Amino acid sequence: MSKYGKGVAALLILAVAASAGWVWFNGHSAPGQILEIYQNGQLVETVNLTQSGQPQTIVLEGDNGAENTVLIQDGQVCMSHATCPDQVCVNQGWISDSAVPIVCLPNQVILQIKGGGGTLDAIAG
Amino acid sequence: MAAAAAAALLLSGCALWDTPSAETQVFAMDTVMSLTIYGSDAQTALDQAVEDLYRWDGLWDVTSENSQIWALNHNAGEAVTLDGETADLLARAVELCQLTGGALDITSYPAVQAWGFTTGEYRVPSQEELDALIPLIDYTALTLEGATASLPQGQMVDVGSVAKGYAGAKLADGLRQVGVESALLYLGGNVQTVGAKPDGTPWRIGIQDPAQSQQTALGVVEVTDLAVVTSGSDQRYFQQDGQTYWHIMDPSTAAPARSGVASVTVVGADGTVCDGLSTALFVLGAEEGGRFWQENPQLEVEVLWVMEDGSLQMTPGLETSFHLADGQTQREVTVLSYE
Repeated sequence: MSKYGKGVAALLILAVAASAGWVWFNGHSAPGQILEIYQNGQLVETVNLTQSGQPQTIVLEGDNGAENTVLIQDGQVCMSHATCPDQVCVNQGWISDSAVPIVCLPNQVILQIKGGGGTLDAIAG
Repeated sequence: MAAAAAAALLLSGCALWDTPSAETQVFAMDTVMSLTIYGSDAQTALDQAVEDLYRWDGLWDVTSENSQIWALNHNAGEAVTLDGETADLLARAVELCQLTGGALDITSYPAVQAWGFTTGEYRVPSQEELDALIPLIDYTALTLEGATASLPQGQMVDVGSVAKGYAGAKLADGLRQVGVESALLYLGGNVQTVGAKPDGTPWRIGIQDPAQSQQTALGVVEVTDLAVVTSGSDQRYFQQDGQTYWHIMDPSTAAPARSGVASVTVVGADGTVCDGLSTALFVLGAEEGGRFWQENPQLEVEVLWVMEDGSLQMTPGLETSFHLADGQTQREVTVLSYE
């Protein structure tokens, strides 16, 4: 193999490794996805999901002792804990696209993923 | 020439990707709403929409002592004078009650209360209790003349089955009037679209699979400038002694409607009609509901019934715009024919 050929092969291997790494680091999320966290109607936090390699926990303290814990892992998001009575937000489990937000109605917390070119604009029902 | 083409491409690229937009989340009407409006005046239009939603929430909240609906429900049968918007909403709602032969009945609230859906303290009422409630569910006892309304003592109106659809339709009208060509209004499970997406393609609206506790789309309907409303047994329910009881009441039994249907989705230009019919067609079921659809082409709606056994029935207009999601294609699908 010529020097030039070796160079191309090395580049190709790098490219494959890089794309594998891209997939690995992104987990389930599509490129460019952002998590927006709203509390009482205000945007309080944004997290770039494509850079969230390490699991991340965000605790939101609300009025009257209300507390919600957001868990972000492998580009997915869930409400891991909430003080609300109905636990609808916790029971919803993981989301990874923009179709449906996680909503804690009693504590007025919304976890909404933006971007990534999700295939659905909304879900009726 | 090439430069002009490149410039045109650049411009259209801007139109595609850089359409100004404004969005917000609103907690109103006992649900969460998400509004996204595109266009240069999006923020002004959005501010107006939010103001409208909070106003309507205040007018129509059945549990708020300051609401118009409360005044109607707690006036010992005496007439009350309603504001114009509430009178209009009630008139539209009563029209739909009449059209559906009472399958939609906006006076079902005493039943919803008895089953605990208003407080979350769920219970199964006795048959005697239900028998006593059935005569209270009768929208024909509601008198509505212009802005004056009265309701016999003991009866209660709740506009929950039509208000979100009405709100979506009103907001969409207002947005079109100020020149908005593209908007997505998500009103707690009710979807109202204005125009197409900014890139000109239809909106892709998922239809919730009622058999899944997590939010999962069983299929997708593509729409432009239409409302998509789903009533599902999975939206509010409780379980007791192995039975599941949901919030959609059959006005004739004062109990959860059991028609073999798990959810009904109605797609159409008029959000109020879509909202009211999604409840009525759940109560009627696939067979009777299908006949209702055939006999009422003037409504210009398309309907998808998801049955408790997972099979689907839909009207022919959905054949091209509705697609099952990946992994759902084994479902049995029946397409109704036109009369």
